[in-house]
Amino acid sequence: MTQTISLAIESRPECIELLSCAVQGLCRLAGLSAADIAKIELAVVEAVNNALEHAYRNQPGHLIVVEFQLAAGRVSLLVRDGGEAMDPQKLATEEFVEPDPASPETWHMRGRGLTIIKSCVDSVEYQVRDGVNTLAMSRTRGDSGPQSD
Amino acid sequence: MILTDRNVDGIDIVSLAGRLVMADVPQVRQRLLATVERGGGKLILDLREVGFMDSSGLSVLVSVLKAVRLRNGDVVLLHLNPTVRSLIELTRLHRVFAICDDEAAALARLR
Repeated sequence: MTQTISLAIESRPECIELLSCAVQGLCRLAGLSAADIAKIELAVVEAVNNALEHAYRNQPGHLIVVEFQLAAGRVSLLVRDGGEAMDPQKLATEEFVEPDPASPETWHMRGRGLTIIKSCVDSVEYQVRDGVNTLAMSRTRGDSGPQSD
Repeated sequence: MILTDRNVDGIDIVSLAGRLVMADVPQVRQRLLATVERGGGKLILDLREVGFMDSSGLSVLVSVLKAVRLRNGDVVLLHLNPTVRSLIELTRLHRVFAICDDEAAALARLR
């Protein structure tokens, strides 16, 4: 049986912490390991940051919804917004620029969110349907996910 | 996020406590860049009490690094907890930041 709960926040940075704490609490309640909780919390925060910054261009007053799904052996998180859609190709094609100590121009200020998300979960999909953008992330419980601690 | 400043032999040491996330970024960036501007460009960021950081928190660290290097200085990240260390390593920023687990070593690196 899959258990699902939806959490909604306004598109303001100060609301993300509340959401983050709620997700952390749900993970604890579900008996997830500390390693799983840390990865899931980080993935959710990065996904919501992206929705706020890119979909809503840092404008408050919009809704970001996180659906937390718990099934046997798996945690899934769907982050939904109704803002500007990301190019779906970006998820697959965005290249991570490795910072080079000798080249300060490679010390980028942004552009790490998707890399972080992909390292925290074992599947990420992005879908745009009827004006709703959904980033769906899933992580296997236990130590079988990628880069588990 | 709480920031506490002190100075040891001309080296600024700022201790951060809390979560370094998007909501705190403008305030923390402003405060750290002001410290860099006032000081000699030698800075230690003690992150022992930072339990969680996201990519916007990393952007603060990068902006501080750029600011100190413009002054021919450097920044040392001190006392990273495993979660923050893992984020810094994942994003390969450990290649550009000096990282120490011991304050005496961090001070020696900047002297």
